[in-house]
Amino acid sequence: MSGRVSGRVASAAFLLLLVALPWISPSYRFLSIAISTGTVAITLYGLAVLFGQAGLMSVGHAALMGVGAYSAAILALRLGIGFWGALPCAMLTAALAAGLIGLPSLRVSGHHFVIITYAFCTLLTIVLTNGGDATGGASGLDLDPVGRLFGVNFDSVRNYYLLVLAALLAAMLATDLIARSGYGRTLRAIRENEALARAVGINTALHKLGAFMLSGAFAGLAGVLQAYYLRHISPGLYGGLPSLYIAMSVMLGGARVLYGPLAGAVIVNFLPEVLSIDPVDSRMAYGAGLVLVILLLPGGVIASLADLGAWAAALARRTAGRWTQLAQGR
Amino acid sequence: MRQAFAAAALAAALSAFGASGGHAEDVIKIGVVAAESGSFVSAGNTIPAAERLATKEINDAGGVKIGGKTYKIQLEVRDDRTSIDTAIAAARELVNDVGVQAIFGTESHDFSIAMTKITGPAKVLQFTGNSTLGQFLTKEAVARGGANHYVFQTEPQEFQRSGSTAKGVLALLTPLMAQPPKHSVVFVANDVAGRYLSSHYVRALEANGQKVDLVYYPPDTQDFTALLTRIKGMKPDIVHFWYNGDETLVAHPQAVQLDVAPAYFLFGVDPGVWRERKLTSGAPLTLSCVPMCWGAPPTKAAAAYFDRYFGMGATKGVQSSVSLLYYDYLHWYVKALEAVGRLDDPDAVVDWLLKSKYQGVVSAAPLVFNDRHQVTFATEVCLVKPNTSGQFKCAVEEPPAAPPPGDPGN
Repeated sequence: MSGRVSGRVASAAFLLLLVALPWISPSYRFLSIAISTGTVAITLYGLAVLFGQAGLMSVGHAALMGVGAYSAAILALRLGIGFWGALPCAMLTAALAAGLIGLPSLRVSGHHFVIITYAFCTLLTIVLTNGGDATGGASGLDLDPVGRLFGVNFDSVRNYYLLVLAALLAAMLATDLIARSGYGRTLRAIRENEALARAVGINTALHKLGAFMLSGAFAGLAGVLQAYYLRHISPGLYGGLPSLYIAMSVMLGGARVLYGPLAGAVIVNFLPEVLSIDPVDSRMAYGAGLVLVILLLPGGVIASLADLGAWAAALARRTAGRWTQLAQGR
Repeated sequence: MRQAFAAAALAAALSAFGASGGHAEDVIKIGVVAAESGSFVSAGNTIPAAERLATKEINDAGGVKIGGKTYKIQLEVRDDRTSIDTAIAAARELVNDVGVQAIFGTESHDFSIAMTKITGPAKVLQFTGNSTLGQFLTKEAVARGGANHYVFQTEPQEFQRSGSTAKGVLALLTPLMAQPPKHSVVFVANDVAGRYLSSHYVRALEANGQKVDLVYYPPDTQDFTALLTRIKGMKPDIVHFWYNGDETLVAHPQAVQLDVAPAYFLFGVDPGVWRERKLTSGAPLTLSCVPMCWGAPPTKAAAAYFDRYFGMGATKGVQSSVSLLYYDYLHWYVKALEAVGRLDDPDAVVDWLLKSKYQGVVSAAPLVFNDRHQVTFATEVCLVKPNTSGQFKCAVEEPPAAPPPGDPGN
């Protein structure tokens, strides 16, 4: 079996496992943590487009989730628009919010862009906290359950998990399609050498803005899913610290490989919960882990594991060849 | 050592196969969700500690007698890790996987609100200390069929706590000041609890004749000097550090250094902590506890409670007294179960709780839930004798029966 085929088989088996999870593990706790991890992973896939393809790191993605979540909540409370109607609206609002931040901030790059996205996070928290009745102030807003669609009751944890999983798979597919498309190649050209890309006629500012807005739409989707799962949102969920965790997760998992963001979400959100690691200890471990990843595994954990696997396979082939030669010589 | 290990391994193996010595069906499972790790650990640790003590006392006294059968309480404690996702997962697990009868916790407003979306539909009673719940516990919401019918707030309504506290602070500080205080500044974190709590406290101070300015600081601030300098410019008679005891202990020394005001009030800092840390203040200073102080218990029952509580190994911390927002209520809930005589009728338990009175430790007067599932009791305030660490004069002022002008009461 070739490497590519075995990789596809492993991917299919993994995805099948994710789909079958509610029937394998009846624990609500496990499913609940999986839902939280899934919503974060969707945001990470959006960030993977921005960081992995266009080379722009944002530490304001929790705020974009917040824009999506609050859009959904306000639409539900003020206009009576439920989950399904709010979903595209919230994605659009989050994309527009990303565009608004992006317009002035994409004129700068690197550290300046990172700082501006972080400032947006802080600003949003202040606006939401002081937003009065419109945002529920510091107390936040409440949401009704998703309800039924085509006879499926999404109030059930199992069905909600499957809904989040479907959204996650869609996010993964979209990320993969973008990476393989001409648009993805354009973004990578900007990432590798922006001046050269501009010299060959690529409108780099427009494409960077587009990538940021696209990334924002992913975050908006995740925000709606999170809001309807928790059914209570408040400004604290979308501040600086959650944003830093999102940025750290994508760096740990890897932004340029398909399973990197999912691995990042699992490492940061899922494992400490199921292994009951003290959050303070895990923060210290993440700090150290991030330094190690940046120094030793710049492509993230999954890319490095893939490299390691390829190296091991090559080594095995060479060793087998040598043994064959030795055997033939004897 | 080897024998102990073998015994422990055998016990673990037996429990894993569900073959423990007792009858598995003769337990009442009670859930606790609280931060035993993460940044809220200071308050969070007190909830399981209080419920472990209450559980031990109930079980040692013979258990819970329902319908001719005796049950032991089995406490199911889950650490929310100061994360809303974990709190929700814990609530899902306790309600759906474990099948608890009731949940106590959490210490955080947002977590508690989100948990009610799980406990409510499952008809699992939830007792939580957050007075910020007042906004959600409307008469309609707690009525039968309402979203919060099974939620009980174990802390008084905020206007009552604020009123009791304001009266205590002014009564203790005024005799020590050169002239009666007229101008107060309330200094509080700009977060959900800070905004909610201070809105009531400002009204309570105004009702007691104070002109009040409210200054917010960003949560997690460590350097308060810029804001304190601004407050000094307002020339206050008293600066009230409101609500977060841990942050208050960082901010207050900076205020003293800057000589911001002639007198101070630190909310949520127990005199016991002041004594143990050997802190002193030249300026008149009052401290208050949520709801009564382990460093200066106002009643014999409270003193005995804290002896038992710390005797179980609980930490002596800034917020140890928060445990009292949970301890009495497990005892009260068990009485309700016994009175109703059934485990499968949570509506009857709610009805019984609403018409009963319970003489607990937290209050000299019996506890009663009002028609919004809230209780009433006073808050203890203590004056620290200037330049001492361990000499206190305390007061427990009765809370007002009605909200002051401008306070909506919820």
